[in-house]
Amino acid sequence: MTAGGVTTHAGAWIRQNLFRNARDSILTVVFGALLAFLTYRALSFVLGEDWEIQRQNMRNSLVGPEISGTDLWAPVIGIWLIAAAVGVMIGALDRSQHADQPGAILDPLRPAHWRQIAYRTVARLWPVFALVVFILLLTGSTTGLLVTLAAMALAFLGRAAGVRLPLGSVRWAALATALAPIVAVLIIRFGFGIDWNDWGGFLLVAFAGAAGIALSFPLGIFLALGRRSKLPVMKGLSVAYIEFFRGVPLVVLLLIGSLVIGLFLPRSLIPSEPIRAVIIFTLFTAAYFAEVVRGGLQSLPEGQEEAAKALGLPAWRITSFIVLPQALRNVIPAIVGQSISLWKDTSLMFIIGLAEPLRLASAFTRQPEFRGQGLITLTLFFAGLIYWIVSFTMSRESQRLERKLGVGQR
Amino acid sequence: MTAAQAPARARPPLWRDVRVLRVVGQAAALVVVGMLLAWLWSNLQNNVDSLGIPAPTDFSYLNQPVGQSIAGSDLRPTQSRLDALQVGLVRTIQIAIVGIILTTILGVLLGIARLSQNWLVATFARIYVELFRNTPPLVVIIFIYLGMFINGGFLPRVGDAVEIPNLLAADIRGISVLWVSFTDSPWPYLLVLVGAIAVGWGVVRWRNHVQDAQGKPTYPMLSGLVVFLAMAIVGWLALGGPTELSAPSVAENGRVTGGNKLTPEYAALLIGLVLYTASHVAEITRASIQAVARGQDEAAKALGLSAGQRLRKVILPQALRVAIPPLSNQYLNLTKNSSLAVAIAYVEMTRVTSDLVANGAPAFQAFLLLAFLYLLISLATALITNFINGRLAIPGR
Amino acid sequence: MSTEPIAEELRDATVTRGAGGVIIELAQVDKFFGDFQALKDVNMKVGKQEVVVVIGPSGSGKSTLIRCINRLEEHDAGRIVVDGVELSNDIKAIREVRRETGMVFQQFNLFPHLTVLDNVTLAPRQVRKTPRAEAERLGRQMLEQVKIPEQADKYPAQLSGGQQQRVAIARALAMQPKVMLFDEPTSALDPEMINEVLESMKELARTGMTMIVVTHEMGFAREVADRVVFMEEGQIVEVGTAEHFFTNPSEERTKLFLSQIL
Ligand SMILES: Nc1ncnc2c1ncn2[C@@H]1O[C@H](COP(=O)(O)OP(=O)(O)OP(=O)(O)O)[C@@H](O)[C@H]1O
Ligand SMILES: [Mg+2]
Repeated sequence: MTAGGVTTHAGAWIRQNLFRNARDSILTVVFGALLAFLTYRALSFVLGEDWEIQRQNMRNSLVGPEISGTDLWAPVIGIWLIAAAVGVMIGALDRSQHADQPGAILDPLRPAHWRQIAYRTVARLWPVFALVVFILLLTGSTTGLLVTLAAMALAFLGRAAGVRLPLGSVRWAALATALAPIVAVLIIRFGFGIDWNDWGGFLLVAFAGAAGIALSFPLGIFLALGRRSKLPVMKGLSVAYIEFFRGVPLVVLLLIGSLVIGLFLPRSLIPSEPIRAVIIFTLFTAAYFAEVVRGGLQSLPEGQEEAAKALGLPAWRITSFIVLPQALRNVIPAIVGQSISLWKDTSLMFIIGLAEPLRLASAFTRQPEFRGQGLITLTLFFAGLIYWIVSFTMSRESQRLERKLGVGQR
Repeated sequence: MTAAQAPARARPPLWRDVRVLRVVGQAAALVVVGMLLAWLWSNLQNNVDSLGIPAPTDFSYLNQPVGQSIAGSDLRPTQSRLDALQVGLVRTIQIAIVGIILTTILGVLLGIARLSQNWLVATFARIYVELFRNTPPLVVIIFIYLGMFINGGFLPRVGDAVEIPNLLAADIRGISVLWVSFTDSPWPYLLVLVGAIAVGWGVVRWRNHVQDAQGKPTYPMLSGLVVFLAMAIVGWLALGGPTELSAPSVAENGRVTGGNKLTPEYAALLIGLVLYTASHVAEITRASIQAVARGQDEAAKALGLSAGQRLRKVILPQALRVAIPPLSNQYLNLTKNSSLAVAIAYVEMTRVTSDLVANGAPAFQAFLLLAFLYLLISLATALITNFINGRLAIPGR
Repeated sequence: MSTEPIAEELRDATVTRGAGGVIIELAQVDKFFGDFQALKDVNMKVGKQEVVVVIGPSGSGKSTLIRCINRLEEHDAGRIVVDGVELSNDIKAIREVRRETGMVFQQFNLFPHLTVLDNVTLAPRQVRKTPRAEAERLGRQMLEQVKIPEQADKYPAQLSGGQQQRVAIARALAMQPKVMLFDEPTSALDPEMINEVLESMKELARTGMTMIVVTHEMGFAREVADRVVFMEEGQIVEVGTAEHFFTNPSEERTKLFLSQIL
């Protein structure tokens, strides 16, 4: 295409999308000015401010003020573990999806594939990479750089292993990926002996979010099945549970967890504050998961269950082999959506005084050297940015998944 | 009939009888849940006894005086805790209603903007949605409150108030906006307004009817609006101008006078809730219009309807039906999220409760009552939604 | 029954043909949906290796009848005995009866998330505890029987309607049932696919399978049915050989119905 062709092309596009008529042109000018102004403000904020306060407190933001020295290796090992497991899983998925055309599988050990792997990874995870680069540039930490590179290398090698696993091991890879965060938590808590009360920053909210999802999911399924049950007692109990937890704000539930749960337990059984928060997140999210799963159950034609009954399968096998696999598959995007919600909700630990990112952000501005300089805008911005990047990335992935499941075979 | 012998049905042993098993299963579930609750309850009573706090069924604390006042309310410290809770409840409902109205306006506009053919407008709306939808509402609220209002220099110090003359004046104590208030009892004029709405609506129905009968355009909406405005103005004049405008201004000493003052806490909570929830409402608006537009728009085009007619007569009425359940969900979310006020000390229902508990009210009863109040609000919302859904339902769908 | 009954005797629903011995017996069966009575005093017997075709207008209770036989619906009164096991609230009896009866649905109801072979082997492995290899051998054999062995590793959505219905037949057969129930197996199919399914069913009938088939394919009835049962408003109105129905049905209602479908 000639340069002239490109110009007319661009010209046509601009006319079509920006200046169709007078009203359109006015809108373009107004919104163009607005966008330009906001972009300018955002850039001058990020580039123009002195980020010293966040630079000095980076470790506090990420893992909380109580974890230091060799203990810092605990979260690092956790990240490595998760990176490797996710790598394996992506590799195994890639292999199973291209089972009939092995040429299309991207193998990290073949340099010819590197460009494409890098391209796809960046296309999907650019917000995360942008954040990591921002952090590394800000802190200028060599250790941080090495840790990041090691995590990437592990994901890369994991993927290489994943594409070499026998077909049909996706299930195991998925299980491993689900177990990795659990193992990571166990390593941090018991391997390094870091008390729950010492977890802070994004480590704390990531833990609370992941644990909340993992624990609430089975409970949610159970409640959804209960709600659909023909037995009035099961149904009644499930409905009461679900409607209670959906009707009361999470803030109130967290306050109850913080101030009231203790009254319901013998003194020796009262868990620490972060664990009580996790329990509340679990109970709360389970009610929402239950509604999501119920939607999936309702989407199944009745004939599925009848066919299974007619074959003589016992009830629990029908549920676990026929009903749930299909129902859950139909609601994967909604499940991801609910997980994003919970991730955002972990910020509410602020309210019960835990060392989560927002509370830390305001605590930093009370340090002697930063006091009274109005720096909270910076620290809050950084905390909000991490929240945003994680949920933005997840929601993009869920939209991708939705499109994919929508067109593929059901 | 050959089977003359009366068929007797075999009775299986109890442990294999489906009906018995069902009953036993349910009884077992009840027993397990009952035992769990009983255990929790007995722990509660033990703990209450050993701590020497009021028994879990004792709600007399509500009659004791609050012992403190609530900013922006005329509650006296000598009034009862129940009165304080009532102030909180009213505030929760008030912020929910104002929030829902503003959210709807902003969200619907953004949703339509998302579908604009103007690339810049659509992009602006998309950035907005992605920005706010993926940020926790608490972050938005705290950022506005601490980051902008209190520490960000966004609101000037007392004595340095800034203003947009006659519309808005602000300093760190609050944001005062132009406000209409009634000089006397508001009821007579409100009644006039209600009557005007009813008559205006009647006119719309009537003009619609004429339009259908005669086939000529009769501008029903326009006529209805004119009638409504005419009645509103005449009524206002007839009652001798029952309202007065209070415009905020900055006095000589740099302080704000007049207008309706919103505290920074209230403003931050309201703005945060609206900005966050509007991003969801925008997505619902967009998705509903798109869900209907496909196919229906073509069909309407084929009938020769104009773009405006297609939008008003075909797309929007259907899109509204699609949108109502998720919208009501968002409204409920906004209402529940108003409890985020605890984080910035705006005193509504949740904050009142946690303040009461901090001042010695029994935690169990106080939070039980609070949860109950929220459940009532949720229930009311669900009932209203079901009612509207029922009214709008298309027969046979 | 030692001697083959003559056609006239067959007009009683409780007189059977086939290889001797009764395998299904319904006596005074009633079934209600709320206040609505879907089956009224149904008496019927089916002999071993017999093929019974059930016809009747929509809503006459045909589906309800065969769904009571494997307890997808609970009957409210009367007795249903399948291969010597009476259906009652006894879960053991229900399990046994379901194990011995296969069912094919109008809408196929294949499990879309499982491959064809997994669809076919699921029940033998889970219910009969057949080892995987053995179950798969058996499964392929069943697919062979319905003439689609090459589709074993596909997913149901990748098959045509006729192929799906044949998979459904193979799936039911894999449990090696004594009785097969068919509920309008061809009425959701495009016309060009009906025959391939009917062929599979005829083949099955020739192997001596006991079958109850709800269908309006009168050609099929004429070719393989030992008896035809006409139902209306929850009652058995008329019973006889296919020939009887073609030549001189006795009831007015039967004539009217046949004139509509033939
Ligand atoms: N689950 C149910 N609840 C209420 N009524 C039902 C139910 N199932 C069937 N019925 C009613 O019972 C009657 C018999 O239904 P059935 O499905 O057995 O008829 P059918 O002869 O199979 O009709 P078709 O040819 O349409 O399949 C119908 O009037 C139907 O409306
Ligand atoms: Mg039927």
